[in-house]
Amino acid sequence: MFGYSRSHQAQSLTVSLFERPSIQSISNHLSSNLNITNKLTQKTPYLYFFKHFRLILVILLFCLFTLSFHQPAYADTLVSPSFEIDMSTINITGGNKSSASYKLSDTVGQTIQGRFDSAGYIVKAGFQYIHSITPFTFTISNLDLNYGNLVPGTPSLLTNILTITTGSAFGYTVRAIEDHPLRLSNALTTIPDTSCDLASACTQTDATVWADNGRYGFGYNIQGSDVDVSDFVDNTYFRPFPIQDTDSPAVVMSKAGIATASAATVTYKVNVSGSQAAGVYQNNIQYIAIPSF
Amino acid sequence: MKFIQPLTLIITALFLLITPYPVSAGSYGLSLNPPLLKVNIRPGKSITQVFTITNLSSDDKFLVARVIPFSETDSRGNPEIDLKKTAPWLSYFSLANSNINLGSPFSIKANASEQLVMSINIPPTAILRDIYATLLVSTYSNLTGLNYQGSLVSATIGSNILITIHPELNPPTLLKINELTPVSGTFFKFGNYYFADSITPISFISSVENSGNFISETKGLFKITGKNDTPVYLEGILPVYVVSNTQRILMNTDGKNFSFNPNLAKLGFHKATIQIKTDNANAESSIDIFFFPFKMSLGLFLALGLLGLIIRLPKPKP
Repeated sequence: MFGYSRSHQAQSLTVSLFERPSIQSISNHLSSNLNITNKLTQKTPYLYFFKHFRLILVILLFCLFTLSFHQPAYADTLVSPSFEIDMSTINITGGNKSSASYKLSDTVGQTIQGRFDSAGYIVKAGFQYIHSITPFTFTISNLDLNYGNLVPGTPSLLTNILTITTGSAFGYTVRAIEDHPLRLSNALTTIPDTSCDLASACTQTDATVWADNGRYGFGYNIQGSDVDVSDFVDNTYFRPFPIQDTDSPAVVMSKAGIATASAATVTYKVNVSGSQAAGVYQNNIQYIAIPSF
Repeated sequence: MKFIQPLTLIITALFLLITPYPVSAGSYGLSLNPPLLKVNIRPGKSITQVFTITNLSSDDKFLVARVIPFSETDSRGNPEIDLKKTAPWLSYFSLANSNINLGSPFSIKANASEQLVMSINIPPTAILRDIYATLLVSTYSNLTGLNYQGSLVSATIGSNILITIHPELNPPTLLKINELTPVSGTFFKFGNYYFADSITPISFISSVENSGNFISETKGLFKITGKNDTPVYLEGILPVYVVSNTQRILMNTDGKNFSFNPNLAKLGFHKATIQIKTDNANAESSIDIFFFPFKMSLGLFLALGLLGLIIRLPKPKP
């Protein structure tokens, strides 16, 4: 539209940067220098390099600084029909917009002043930036953990699986707490919560190795999605449960973002000594799944 | 007659196999919707919100609904739940259901849903403030009926409720961007300036603090600007809520750190800016970055140095 095609020859002539007279004069100049350089090279070969090394260095530095302080090319247009940049003025639009240089997400505003004045309330249910109708869902594969007959020095292990789907929430945490340590119905005799191996004691928020069958107690390990793998390094790392009315629930799974069927396997471990009183030991473990906001 | 005995045994075995006694461990599956309720309400007004709870397990469940207040969150918007915590304003909350009350067990059939009709009544004399709570729905468990040695697992699912009580729609609050710092990429800091390699992607972390009394949102932009404040890169901030007197990490709309991929054309002084503009607060913070092809320059200098070294080496005499 703004030009016309030319023959290859014509184009070459048009865009050619070569100017014969200049080249000729430069060539002559270089030729005369070359003779001198050749003489120098014959006498001191390294001086020849250093002379050109400085020249190359100057050219490189010149190029780099020219690039650094160049005038910006305004190739990216800021204003276009598909972009709304001033977030405070977005009222009746929303969604994700992107290009090579832009990635914006805005939300539909519900800021109708008159409605608030007349009705006296504004309700926003759910998350405006996630367009999902899937509800926040939490499942546990097994609620009844029967450890059976406990053999002293032989740990009893049971597992269940926790699964989370955040749906329209952006992130979640699952916390765990027990009502009390495993105990007899007389509420006096307990299987204490584990402190893991003697070399490095574990706490309610810090898992360590529990592999010594001479260490007794009750604890848990968790492996899978959205688990803190820096704490539960592998399936030998255990923690004791926090105790209700005394401690705060401990985070066992969490994610800052959308989770779809994130699953983690909890392993419960009980190990008793030979002096543990006989009887039926029981407790209640509660998992609390709460979405982020 | 001689077949009667084996036939009886086979039939007995078949009946045992065909009609086994069902033994299955109890499971739990529950969903709650919506996961978040944000309300701006004037004193003396009431609202009603329906929460739908669905029993996804294959057996009927007894559940208990309750409202727990919270005032603190972590930097990712997770409330710090204390199950013992209470507050005088919990009386504002009630269920309008005829058969379900807060704190009392109710049953829900397998694979069925129930609606919890929550009524929030703000008295005319209520203090103008924010109140934050979580609706918790728990399985109702009782160790009394447990006849084995072990643990009975109970589960709780929650939904957060954020309420602003004020006659104005957007009562002002105070937002402050605490930090805007490069975290990954090739960069160093000298004085107040960051010097970054112009061909290495660079990512930034940022957080915002709400030191006011009312909740705010994190609507805004992360931008890189060149000369004359010309934007060369824009990224939206994930709009999340910052409750009063808490901090939140700012993220891009993908829930990740802000990132910028410079190139050889993006050289010289630039400015990285976080800009939040909401209905009740504004905040802005920026840092100066000088982009330069440090890696490339270093490579060139090393190559030239090596070349010089090679040339300087005396030629072996024949």
